[in-house]
Amino acid sequence: MNILKDVFSELFSMFVADARLTATILATVGLAAVLIDATSLPPLAGGLVLLLGCIAVLFLSVRREAKRRASPKSGSY
Amino acid sequence: MLEWSTAGPAVGAAFLASIVEVVEAFTIVLVVATLRGWKPAMLGTGAALFVLAAIVVILGPLLDQVPLHLLQLVIGVLLLLFGIGWLRKAALRAGGVIPLHDEDAIFAKETAGLTAEVERRQTSQDWIAGIAAFKAVLLEGLEVIFIVIAVGAGRGMLWPASLGALAACALVLLVGVIAHRPLARVPENTLKFGVGVMLSAFGVFWTGEGLGVDWPGQDLALFVFAALFLVAGLTAARIVRKPIEVTV
Repeated sequence: MNILKDVFSELFSMFVADARLTATILATVGLAAVLIDATSLPPLAGGLVLLLGCIAVLFLSVRREAKRRASPKSGSY
Repeated sequence: MLEWSTAGPAVGAAFLASIVEVVEAFTIVLVVATLRGWKPAMLGTGAALFVLAAIVVILGPLLDQVPLHLLQLVIGVLLLLFGIGWLRKAALRAGGVIPLHDEDAIFAKETAGLTAEVERRQTSQDWIAGIAAFKAVLLEGLEVIFIVIAVGAGRGMLWPASLGALAACALVLLVGVIAHRPLARVPENTLKFGVGVMLSAFGVFWTGEGLGVDWPGQDLALFVFAALFLVAGLTAARIVRKPIEVTV
């Protein structure tokens, strides 16, 4: 049972290594989906929002984590 | 006939990502072989490969049943979560925020852990060692399977991507058998950075196609996405390398 637990834990951590990162990526995909499906904008506009949104999410996530670790309050793990 | 612009990124991503995963699994198998001999290491590895093969045989045909746009969307989103996660970690490592992955240190840690486990338990020592090899190969192998499916399934590139992954396994095994030590000189963070870039690019591409976006340039758009993610990752790593001033 430990092996199964480890397998599911590994699978979960593959996609949800950081809850906030996961949430913001899903929100970006959701925004792109709304732009493509629910507005009269061309689908490519939603695609560009998806691309630039994901790049921004990456950039901000790296900065946030670096700041968090540099803060004297946070313990390193 | 396969086009290089289509197959190249899939094969390359599967090959590089598999090198990272196989090197990690190889370190644990080598720990087991060093402590308890090759028999439990090979039995554990063989059992894990059997389970992985069973997963592919059982789940593989189901992929054909899923509508293409849905498959692209689901795989694309999973790739974004996985790829951006890898790229974030690689950028943090490149920026010196978190320590680099060190196979020698992992080898020493796993050796100490397995030795303690063998001393603590009353069951057969070879059994515990074999289970350690089994778990390592199974867990890293699952990631390889996901990557192969993720970069290959959207455009019927499963076979080329699988060949990329198999080539990586063969290369790591060959070098590992010759070196007979942890493959600490593999530039893992550079590989992880590159793979994170490629998986993120695939993620945006498939998610967009799944949502109905017709990317200009078709598959060539992947290279543009990869270049943008590469620049973003390198810039982020460079920025966090400097001390961050906290404003009060």
